[in-house]
Amino acid sequence: MELILIVMFIYAIAILLLSIIALKGPTIGDQVLAIDVLTYISLVLFTLLSIYLKQPLLIVLVIPLAFWVYSLDIYIAKYLEHGDLGA
Amino acid sequence: MVISVLEIPIILRVIGSALLCLGAFAALVSAIGFHRFKNFYLRLHAATIGSIWGSVYPLVGSAILAITVEELGVYRWFVAGASIVAAFIVLILAPAGSHALARGVHKAKVARVKPCIADKLDPELCG
Repeated sequence: MELILIVMFIYAIAILLLSIIALKGPTIGDQVLAIDVLTYISLVLFTLLSIYLKQPLLIVLVIPLAFWVYSLDIYIAKYLEHGDLGA
Repeated sequence: MVISVLEIPIILRVIGSALLCLGAFAALVSAIGFHRFKNFYLRLHAATIGSIWGSVYPLVGSAILAITVEELGVYRWFVAGASIVAAFIVLILAPAGSHALARGVHKAKVARVKPCIADKLDPELCG
């Protein structure tokens, strides 16, 4: 259980470093890419939190979040390519 | 050498903890790489490290670790199954998403290809 705390701390540092790029990144591509990795890493953080706090319902968050960030990728790519979403 | 039934949770816990430590190291390397790389197309490399090594392997590791946690009761199988499903979703969708994003950025001429030898798709973006 102490190892889970240490791993969660390292993940929190990684999320902080990535959120700097997500807020001020040079172009919109860098921002969306940083939000991608930030979300994939926070999936692991939610899973470890549900194991550490012994709350199984926290794991329900994980799967919709993975689909959400894929849809963000597709929306931004389509917006950059065609100029509007068309939907 | 015979492994008794009582040793199986210890073995699973060691495997899960090793995968979690690997994932934490990869996540930190990916976050530092986002700051060190100069360019969008170079940052795709750091994003790949963060999504596969930093997310898929630790999700599998936390699924293996959750099986051994007795305090979760029956729900430990629920936690393990949801972690495996999330790992599979990330494994399939993360490369597809970053590929679509890179294609969109290159077509919209948002970022220039900086260390460039030849760019046959769009020669204006080279250099």
